[in-house]
Amino acid sequence: MTRFILPTVATDGTICTCAACGHALGPAPWKRGAIRRDLPLAVAGGAAYDTGHAGVFLCQFICPGCAVLLDTETAMAGDAALDDRLHLPAAAN
Amino acid sequence: MDPMTFSIIRHRLFRIVDEAVITLKHVSGSAITNEGHDLMVSLYRADGTLLMGGVGFLHHLTSAAEACKAIIRRFQGQIGEADVYLLNDPYTAALHTSDIYLVAPIHHEGRLVAWSACFVHVTDIGAMNPGGFAPQAVDIYSEGFSSPGLKLLDRGEMRQDVLDTILNMVRSPEMVSLDLRSMIACCNVARDRMSALLTKYTAPVVDEACAALVEQSETLFRARLRALPDGQWQSRQYLDVQGETARVVLTMTKTDDRLVFDFTGSDPQSRHSINCTKWAALGGLFAPLFPLLCYDITWNEGVIRPVTMIAPEGSIVNCTRPAPVSVATVGAIQSVNNAACTTIGKMLAASPEYRDQATAVWHANHFAIFKFGANQRGGYSIGILTETFAGAGGARSFADGVDIGGEIPNPISRMANVETVEGAFPIRYLFRRRAPDSGGPGRYRGGTGGEMAIVQHRAPAGGIDYVISGKGARHPMSEGLAGGYPGAPNSYVWVHADAEAAPGSADRLETIPGTPEPVSWGVYPLRGQDALYVRWNGGGGYGDPIARDPAAVAADVTSGVVSARAAAEIYGVALAPDGGADSAATVALRGAIRTARLAVPEAAE
Repeated sequence: MTRFILPTVATDGTICTCAACGHALGPAPWKRGAIRRDLPLAVAGGAAYDTGHAGVFLCQFICPGCAVLLDTETAMAGDAALDDRLHLPAAAN
Repeated sequence: MDPMTFSIIRHRLFRIVDEAVITLKHVSGSAITNEGHDLMVSLYRADGTLLMGGVGFLHHLTSAAEACKAIIRRFQGQIGEADVYLLNDPYTAALHTSDIYLVAPIHHEGRLVAWSACFVHVTDIGAMNPGGFAPQAVDIYSEGFSSPGLKLLDRGEMRQDVLDTILNMVRSPEMVSLDLRSMIACCNVARDRMSALLTKYTAPVVDEACAALVEQSETLFRARLRALPDGQWQSRQYLDVQGETARVVLTMTKTDDRLVFDFTGSDPQSRHSINCTKWAALGGLFAPLFPLLCYDITWNEGVIRPVTMIAPEGSIVNCTRPAPVSVATVGAIQSVNNAACTTIGKMLAASPEYRDQATAVWHANHFAIFKFGANQRGGYSIGILTETFAGAGGARSFADGVDIGGEIPNPISRMANVETVEGAFPIRYLFRRRAPDSGGPGRYRGGTGGEMAIVQHRAPAGGIDYVISGKGARHPMSEGLAGGYPGAPNSYVWVHADAEAAPGSADRLETIPGTPEPVSWGVYPLRGQDALYVRWNGGGGYGDPIARDPAAVAADVTSGVVSARAAAEIYGVALAPDGGADSAATVALRGAIRTARLAVPEAAE
């Protein structure tokens, strides 16, 4: 049975997949199987996001299969990615 | 009990709260109350537990319950009919000193049967900075008058010595007196209408209905939780103050019919007044929970029971006395609001059944700017820029966020008309409008925030001053959902006028003549031809921006809320000469964006 961790990320209880194309992202945490791009704010969002301060990033987590944007986070350098996961009774997601 | 009587009593309780809110607004003379709706009224059971949560700032519903319980503990055996108690100590129950709770017992036939509680942000509380938000405070002792509980009215009679003592410690005592009297009127209306209800249906029947209402809420909320997936969802917020960054970190775990909000990993309490106490953090997480998970469930103790909060002592979300907390409501509490909104939004979005109830974060960053000084009528004014309540809606799975759309923690927030502000202060607005590119990009765009600029206008003292407790100028705080971007961060700029130039009819920051200087924390002047420019954040976006309908992007560019640059670089939409989307060029642009995403990941700087 397909369940969702986020609208963009599904899981069968063992393997996480891109909800758009089915590309396997691996076991939890699913972000390890995604492409991560840390973009400086001014690059990511244009002038409105250019605060004049370095060190803040828009982290993009991208499906390696179809290039859809699975999730974003605001982060500072060195901060770990947020870990979203389902708790399913039979197996780790 | 019979369902008809139950439903009638339930609706009467709703209406009692509504009428008390209307009373509060209409008696108050403060723009922050009657324009911004920075208020709350709720009803509580005899033991102080929440019975009927009202509208206004929802993070007060649970804190005011604790205020009721604190008053019960302190005044046990001395609580008389028509008494009114005051409490504003953050380490007892309140959020910050300037949000004063008035807590009033409701008796029937000589027996205590319920409580009403309300709050407004009073015009001043005697903190070291006017208006209550005290960015220069170093501890709770510099944040003004603070009481863990006192009797303000004794059996309906004002204790004049107590009132005079309070008013002797605040600026603008006439306005603070009106603030207090608006809350007393609110308590009176709540008590009178409850008395009528109790007389009509009898105390035992009303009590039975109230108990059933709490039980109903708990049953319905637990059922809703069971219908949602089990799992954990995380979020993180950054608060920047004078170059120092503090993190609020949240892991929300949902198991069966229980929710745990765990703030372990959040930073230690700050030396700045952005901290919050544990009661404030608890209120902060419930503020989005009530409307997002219990939109069709009565907000009361039954909703609170399935929820547990873990907030490490000494952290920014559970600070220890005497840490300063006067900026809490727009500091750590708002970050708790945002973090909880994000995790709840993720959980809802994980459920196909509830996905259309999910939302990206709304207006995540208040800018508390209090103007103060001599006004054009020979008096003295203190007041907030109510644009901070204008907000911006987060995008959802099926629609854009609402531009200037308010905020989740206060369903009735709004801003004053420009003319109202100009009538109260010697200032002039240069412009106020939706801020381009402020809404978080996404398949569904976050609602835009706004931007505005003001100058002094024929001020008798040559200008006024303002207190600013502004964060969010370095970090976006309105997080996106499902690949959506966060809303753009805030911006606060003091434009120092050139020698001869006047701001005239400037319509955006770039056309205000002078030298811009970012400001965010402290007390600043607004004098001569200088201007204060503020841009506030938009809501978070939902979904991948390059999945947005190109026609919607083109329409946004035409209306001025998205720039052509953002259309191309973020949304991958090329515009045709007529302003519409160029289909072929858009396909090519979006293909290039996908290719770039799949290229070797860029390293974080």
